Amino acid sequence: MSPHFFIFLILVSGSLSAQILPRMTDGKPDLQGIWKPVNRASFNLEDHVARHDMPPGVSVIDGGTIPYQPWADEQRKRNFVNRSSEDPLNNCFLPGVPRIMAMEHPFQIFQTSNHIAITFEWQQVYRLIYTNDAAPMYAGIESWMGNSRGHWDGDTLVVEVIDQNEKTWLDSAGNFHSNDIIVTEHYQLLDQDTIEYRATIEDPNVFTRPWAIQLELKRQTHTNVILEYQCQAEKEEANGAFERDEKTWYPAPIPSENEPFDAGASANLPLPTASEEILRHPDGTPNITGFFMADAGGANYGLEEHEREILLPPSRGQVIDPIDRMLPYQAWARAERIDRQLPHRGYDDPTAHCFVAGVPRSHYVPAPFFILQSPGYIVVLHERMSWRRINIDTELILPDTIRLWQGNSNGRWEGDTLVVESSNFNGKSWLNEVGDVVSHMQTVIETFTPVSTNQLIYRATVSDPIPYTRPWTIEMPFNRENQELLEVACLEDNADLTHLRDVRDEYRRNQNVE
Amino acid sequence: MKCLFNFLTLLLFLSSNNILAHHAFAAEFDRNKPVSFTGTVTEMNWSNPHAWIYIDVVDSSGDVVNWALETRAANNLIRLGWRPGDLPVGTVLEIRGWQARNDSPTASLSEATLPDGRQLFSGSPD
Repeated sequence: MSPHFFIFLILVSGSLSAQILPRMTDGKPDLQGIWKPVNRASFNLEDHVARHDMPPGVSVIDGGTIPYQPWADEQRKRNFVNRSSEDPLNNCFLPGVPRIMAMEHPFQIFQTSNHIAITFEWQQVYRLIYTNDAAPMYAGIESWMGNSRGHWDGDTLVVEVIDQNEKTWLDSAGNFHSNDIIVTEHYQLLDQDTIEYRATIEDPNVFTRPWAIQLELKRQTHTNVILEYQCQAEKEEANGAFERDEKTWYPAPIPSENEPFDAGASANLPLPTASEEILRHPDGTPNITGFFMADAGGANYGLEEHEREILLPPSRGQVIDPIDRMLPYQAWARAERIDRQLPHRGYDDPTAHCFVAGVPRSHYVPAPFFILQSPGYIVVLHERMSWRRINIDTELILPDTIRLWQGNSNGRWEGDTLVVESSNFNGKSWLNEVGDVVSHMQTVIETFTPVSTNQLIYRATVSDPIPYTRPWTIEMPFNRENQELLEVACLEDNADLTHLRDVRDEYRRNQNVE
Repeated sequence: MKCLFNFLTLLLFLSSNNILAHHAFAAEFDRNKPVSFTGTVTEMNWSNPHAWIYIDVVDSSGDVVNWALETRAANNLIRLGWRPGDLPVGTVLEIRGWQARNDSPTASLSEATLPDGRQLFSGSPD
């Protein structure tokens, strides 16, 4: 075969691959999908031989090494020696950019013309990249994951990440930076299953010049779901700091003393209707993309109405079914709910440990959230650093053994209402700080109904035969606001948990004395 | 001090309803242990879901105790217009709150008042 024929083949295959690049309706390359890097860069960006805690790898840096200033090179060496205790990821802290992109945990990209969301398996971290030319609303506010602003340069997505704090490392080997770091990322789709990812790192406090890394991201064609790796929750379960609840955690059985569960009991309430024209996409479906805050009326302090008390905010009561606005508890579960409000049980609330709030609590925890509608999905990014993926076009059924804090959610549009059905929960969540109960058997049907330009009416119907005698429904408005998400790095200073543990431990000591 | 005064002007109109809790305050703090004292700010820790103000307080025996006062989420304060550094070290505050059940010098902040009588803000859900 002649050399010319090879060149011809390369040219043809090159132009063919350019033609078959998947594209969005706006013409931009379609980056949507589940991706994972193919390298060992998360262990060490530079060339490294194998060690006990570190598989070997070749450098992903242009030129091979990081151009440290002399003092910083010394710091890097100290970090390496102390890495088993000093690596921020050992405390399950947020990894920062570009480290999160190089980790062995897969992530999913959701893309629209104005935003790109990346949701990660690791600790349910996400990134929201604004591609709408909006200036950052909170420039100068530092965070672990920084503030990402993107634009398209031809077929390449270019993202500038500013305002990262100085607390993250660049890898497990102690490579580091200061809070002056600016990361410029380039995402280029080479073929439908490959993204060439480049990140240029500028930080004159630490380095002598800008430098760049290059990673290959591969589409994960064998899976269509990102599961959860809740680093801190897994760590605390392993070391005993977070204890199993035999009554609710998977696979707890229905208690033998339970009254029968009346699955058909329901008030069959009509859905809310729009009071004015609502926002719509060009295809006519409601546009519910944006920043929302629940007008939760104190749901995080109790779903049943109660007055303000010292150190406990009031709740207006969110239950709309049953008609008495009380949760239809089994007798044992009502007793458990009352017990959970005792001071020594405050430690048991998963959100006090900074764990994910679950469904429906993530919406009223209280913290704002951003809803992004991308082709095939709706993804909800919660400021309290977790995300939910709702499959719209393709229903995803998970095996019964796969149990998640946020569950598995499939949605569909019924008229102008988004209906979401969720299951596969792990039963570890509390519904609020006073301990309203759910178990792994909960299934949730949520409705998101736009009733005006800036308001959705949210309902969640929970069916759970372990703590309840029948399904129940709560309702609250979600209000759209002209805001941007900030970051809640809950683990960075959770002194509360220490105090709550003291209260629990003192109670246990007194119990033992008696 | 200029930014502090701008911030205080803003905060004069705040209610205490929009707190962002992540744990039961009534479990951590004791409604039977109200505390009130005057101290000087030594540090403010901008963290989520709760920011902390640290103040030095002279106790009855003349010793200086550094109290940790729990308040709103940093994100909540940011959205209200406050920025890190707006509460200078050395600011004198008269505070009221509820002490932690474990008797550490920790309190949920319910009221903070400047020497001229203006209210700072409240951080506890009472």
